[in-house]
Amino acid sequence: MKKLTYFPGCSAHGTSEEFDHTLRKVMKTLEVELEEIPDWNCCGATSAHAMTDNLAMALPMRNLILAEKMDNKTMGIPCASCYSRMKTAKYELEAHPELAQKLSSIVEEGTFKGTVEVKSMLQFCYEEVGLEKIKSLVKYPLTGLKVACYYGCLLTRPKAVTQFDSPEYPMSMDRLVEALGATAVDFDYKTECCGASFAISTPEVVLNLSGKILEMAKEAGAHAMVVACPLCQSNLDMRQPDIEKLQGVKYNIPVFYFTQLMALAFGYPVSDLLPGKHIVPIEPALARIGETEEPAEKVTKPKKAVEAESEDN
Amino acid sequence: MITLGQDQKNPLLEVVNKRSGQNVLNCYQCGKCVGTCPVAGYMDFPPREIMQLIKIGRKEAILAANSSWYCLTCSACAGRCPREIDIPKVMETLRHMAIEEHVKPGSKRVKDIRHFHEIFNNMVRLYGRNYELRLMAEFNIRTRNLFQNMQLAPKALLKGKIKLFPGPGVKSAKAIKKMYDIAEKLEKSK
Repeated sequence: MKKLTYFPGCSAHGTSEEFDHTLRKVMKTLEVELEEIPDWNCCGATSAHAMTDNLAMALPMRNLILAEKMDNKTMGIPCASCYSRMKTAKYELEAHPELAQKLSSIVEEGTFKGTVEVKSMLQFCYEEVGLEKIKSLVKYPLTGLKVACYYGCLLTRPKAVTQFDSPEYPMSMDRLVEALGATAVDFDYKTECCGASFAISTPEVVLNLSGKILEMAKEAGAHAMVVACPLCQSNLDMRQPDIEKLQGVKYNIPVFYFTQLMALAFGYPVSDLLPGKHIVPIEPALARIGETEEPAEKVTKPKKAVEAESEDN
Repeated sequence: MITLGQDQKNPLLEVVNKRSGQNVLNCYQCGKCVGTCPVAGYMDFPPREIMQLIKIGRKEAILAANSSWYCLTCSACAGRCPREIDIPKVMETLRHMAIEEHVKPGSKRVKDIRHFHEIFNNMVRLYGRNYELRLMAEFNIRTRNLFQNMQLAPKALLKGKIKLFPGPGVKSAKAIKKMYDIAEKLEKSK
């Protein structure tokens, strides 16, 4: 059994409980043992680096040091924001040893060595577990379900720090959901920002940015969206009714964590997805599973073209 | 393009370059960052103008502007900048400078954003981890708008999206508090 050092992050106990819950199930199936970092602390998220240089590095540095004391090669992080803070801290501390030296007066847990690899759980599944293994464990293929994979900003950017997938048009999650049997639609807004931490302080920005993302997902023909970040999920799901009100349209696009789809495909019951946590109901999207191609794809011409033709006649 | 002459000192440029680790002089004003930035439309000066204002040393205007506070650090601009300038790092430096120099927020929104970050940091200082419900409640009290985001509260609570009580805290919450105290002293002694 493979072992992985696990950093759940604060939202795992609140807004993204379903991410953590399904992740633990999925890892069991994949024969990966999660070893949670004892006594981990908040990474500082956006707020620490918005306000201070030192704490923005010191808070993740403490977690990195605690992780180094464990005996595993890699540390896996579900939340994209925690991942970004931890990976940025590792990158900066390695590039500037004098910074680590300076911060040792703040962090008393020991010295930073840089011996643990930091990966998002998506990256871990993609690189260390591998799509072949994931595919081989699928009991209930998600055929018929069309999803828009949304990566957000931090999983692949900045490129120098993350060293994973493309910062403009990543494909790892698309390939993963296709390994589960679902169809990943072409989606131009994969890496556009959802408004992130502005959800509370500046909600109009979130409604605007997340609204555009939902609009594009709908246009791409997705039945659902798939994400790998608690903040993206809550902005797109919890704010969807407000966005619909603002734009005067109905989206009804449920927003899944990729681990929820993995759990489903691995044969866990729907109740294990914690469907009650979703604001936009997930059932209509799940009903698409098993559907064969939509009744003989009609060749529909864009309305304008049809009008133009009738004018010609 | 206007920049300060070789013989003129530009202390702002020097400080920003040193603290951000970037060279703002490399910017050739192509504007790709503005086209990329999802919040450029909300900014007093979009990123391209901020770069130019740094080059001509307009410190007061920059620190009073809302631009750095609206930056979401999504890094889309940094990925596309043909001069490979990490613009969010420059924005971060500007925020830190505004705090250190006690620049008053120029608008209600900037005030809100700063309140939010302060309260978030306080939660971590107190609990070692974030406590979402108290974060939201304190934000409403501090911004004197008790009912904002309240349409979300019942749903979020009912669905268990937000917990009534703080999660399992860090055993060494004390250690985290100490980290904040030491860091604060360090910042003050700058």
